[in-house]
Amino acid sequence: MGFSGNLKDFPFPDILQVIARERKNGILLVEWKDLIVAYYIKEGNIIFARPVDKITRVYTERDFGQLVEKLRVKEETIPKILEKYLLQRFEEREGIFSLIFGFIRYRSNEKIPIPIEQIILEASRKLSPMEVKRKISDEMLTFAIAQGGENKLKSLKLSAVEEKVVKLIDGNKTVADIRKEMFPTPPIEVDKALYGLWSAGIIKRIRRGKRKKPEGLTLDILKRIIDKVRDL
Amino acid sequence: MDGKLQNKKKIKILISGPFAAGKTQFIKTISEIEPLTTERKTTAKSEKKVKNFTTVAMDFGKITIDDEHELYLFGTPGQSRFDFMWEILGKGALGIIVLVDSTNPETFHEARQIINYFESRYPVPMVVGANKQDLPDAWPPDMIKSALNLDVEDIPVVPVVATDKDSVKKTLLTLLEEIYKEFG
Repeated sequence: MGFSGNLKDFPFPDILQVIARERKNGILLVEWKDLIVAYYIKEGNIIFARPVDKITRVYTERDFGQLVEKLRVKEETIPKILEKYLLQRFEEREGIFSLIFGFIRYRSNEKIPIPIEQIILEASRKLSPMEVKRKISDEMLTFAIAQGGENKLKSLKLSAVEEKVVKLIDGNKTVADIRKEMFPTPPIEVDKALYGLWSAGIIKRIRRGKRKKPEGLTLDILKRIIDKVRDL
Repeated sequence: MDGKLQNKKKIKILISGPFAAGKTQFIKTISEIEPLTTERKTTAKSEKKVKNFTTVAMDFGKITIDDEHELYLFGTPGQSRFDFMWEILGKGALGIIVLVDSTNPETFHEARQIINYFESRYPVPMVVGANKQDLPDAWPPDMIKSALNLDVEDIPVVPVVATDKDSVKKTLLTLLEEIYKEFG
């Protein structure tokens, strides 16, 4: 099971968000203009990156332990490899990706070099204003700290803006309020922080206002509508 | 038209979603009348590649519930340049179905914008319909849920094929049951 798309229309933080939330094993393959890179995913974290000359190679080498031995990669060099082949490429938009879950076999002792939430924050900092607006699309959006968000924060290095923004998240303040309180920080920087924190699952969108029952609508009428639709 | 017919109470459900998500088809499949549509020829090159006609104001379909009540299905235009219609059509809606083209992840951010808009301004029960599930490259509903940041929210994402009546019925029923739960 997997999916593919274009980095211009489906930016990196959004791909990483799906990877993080699905918590599966698999491979993300990105065909950049100059390079093809395979990113190895273990339970929702990217634990290794490898440039490849042929895509088929990725799908034939399914045992991660054997692969690392074959490539003679030392564990302590993996963060630098990720830095080079992942973090430094977030400004590139020309590329297509495919994400396939399953098929790769891991041992149990692979470490997580960089938490996926940290990678998401880094990727979000590199977004263009237009990309940010796609997600932080409404100044009335309201956020709260997500369940487990506080815990995730303990292992992350936030930027100064992200740190201030996360302190303002209280389940009441809208995006407009947060931008105002963050002045003179440019709104786009505030929005990027919100984008990253939301994509990383540290904050969540909450519904603004209470849902009101429409006047004259009774449960009996609702029941009749349900029965009618069922019988169509 | 007799007086009783004119005085029927109208209950409104909104069918929203990005361009070419299948909103007009969804309404056509379930409406008991030939839907009233306001389709015009697409003008943008990128849109022409996808389909020749698009909704510019709204689609309208109807299901008669009984002698006193009618369920109206209003479809919004998909392109964000028509977003003023979201406000006009959203007012008084009992619930919203946001359709997403499961085969086109490039439109997911437009779906998210629609969800953001309604969750921030007109909070009514909502269901996301992951349409075109009959096509081979369709994203499964649980991955669409993750992509739209709905995994921690109480907005169900259900598989749909807008040309299939049972599938459309199931989606509409999911929304109605959400509404029942909310107000029950």
